[in-house]
Amino acid sequence: MNKELEHQFVTALENNQNIVHKVCSLYTNSRDAHNDLFQEITIQLWKAYPKFRGESKFSTWMYRVALNTAITLYRKSKKRVQTQDFDSVIFKIKADEYDPTQEQQLTLMYKAVKQLGDIEKALVFLYLEDKNYSEISDTLGISEVNARVKMNRIKTKLRTILNP
Amino acid sequence: MMDELELLKKDWKRKESELPKLSYDELYAMIWKKSSSIVKWIFIISIIEFVLPQLLYFIPSVKEGIEPYERLGLKNLMMGISIVQYLVVFYFIYQFYQRYREISALDNAKQLMHKIIRTRKTVKNYILFALSMFLLTFLLIAVGIALSDGDTFIHALDLEEKAMEDSIDNLKFVVVGLLIAVGILCTAFLGLIYFLIYGLLLRKLGKNYRELKRLEI
Repeated sequence: MNKELEHQFVTALENNQNIVHKVCSLYTNSRDAHNDLFQEITIQLWKAYPKFRGESKFSTWMYRVALNTAITLYRKSKKRVQTQDFDSVIFKIKADEYDPTQEQQLTLMYKAVKQLGDIEKALVFLYLEDKNYSEISDTLGISEVNARVKMNRIKTKLRTILNP
Repeated sequence: MMDELELLKKDWKRKESELPKLSYDELYAMIWKKSSSIVKWIFIISIIEFVLPQLLYFIPSVKEGIEPYERLGLKNLMMGISIVQYLVVFYFIYQFYQRYREISALDNAKQLMHKIIRTRKTVKNYILFALSMFLLTFLLIAVGIALSDGDTFIHALDLEEKAMEDSIDNLKFVVVGLLIAVGILCTAFLGLIYFLIYGLLLRKLGKNYRELKRLEI
C-alpha cells in the first residue's frame, strides 16, 4: 500500500462520499451510528481497493461495497448506538419549501422506508439512485425478474404502511 | 404509489446538497481505523472455538483424569482416537481458512452472505465433531469399565475403600451410569453454549440471506 494508492483512494472517496452518507442515513437512526457505519464502510472500501481495477466506475463499485457492509458486514457497536429516534440529515424536511400536504407525505414516506427490512431498503436505495434492474440484480445477486417482483411488493408494502 | 416514489426520488436528489461533507484529512484518518465487521468477529470467535477444546487436554487434572483409563487397557485405543482427532482438526482449520479467505466485500450481497455462512458452517461441523468426540470418550470409558474385570476396575479408579462396603457389580453400575449421565449433560451444555453463540452471530445475516433466497423461489 503505497502513498500514491492512498492518495488516489482518498481523493476518489472524497468526491463520491455522498453515496456512503446516503447508505448510512438509510440504515442508521442516530448521528453516532451514522458515523460508525460510515467508518466501517470506508475501511471495507479501502481493504477492497487494491482489487478495484477500474473495470467498473469507482462509484458503481462503491455501491456494492457500501451496501454489503451495511447489510452484512457491519456490526453495531453497542456503546455508540442510541435508542432515541433521530432523523438523520437526509430525512429532515424543510418546512418552508413545501406545501404542507406534500411535506407530510414525504415525511411519512421516509418513515415508511425506514421501517423496511435490510434487503428492501437496499432495493429502494438503488431505485432512488436511478439504478436499473440489471444493476440492482447484479448488486444483490438476484435475477432481474425477481428484483422487479420484489420492488413491486415493496411498493405495495409502502402503500399499506402509508394507508393503514 | 408510483407517483409517490417518484416524488421521493426527486426529494432524495434534492437533499444531496444537505449531506455531510468530510474533508480529505478526515477520510484519510479513517482508512487506518480498525474494522469491527462481523467477519472479523467470526474469525476471532472461530479461532477461540478451535483452540478451546484442545486446551482442555493441557489442564493437568484432565490429564490425570485420563490416566486411570490407560490402566483400564484403553491406552492404544485412546492414542488412535487422538491421532485421528488431530488430523480431522487440522483438516477443519485448513478448510476454515480457505473459506475465510474467499470472503470478499466485492461479491454480490447473496454470494457474500453465502460465503460467510459457509465459513461459519465449517466451524459448526468442527464443533459437532468435537462434541461427538467428547461424548464418545465418556462412552468409551464407560464401556471399558463395564467390560473390565473387577480388580482392574477397582484399582484403576482407586476405589479400594468403597469396594469394602459395596459389591463390585453395584459400584460398576453406579460409575458407568454416572459417566454416561455426566457425559451427556456436559455435551448438551457445551452444545447449548455453542449454538447460542452461533445463533447470535448469524442472526441478522441469516435473516437477510433467507430473504434473498426466498426471492429465488
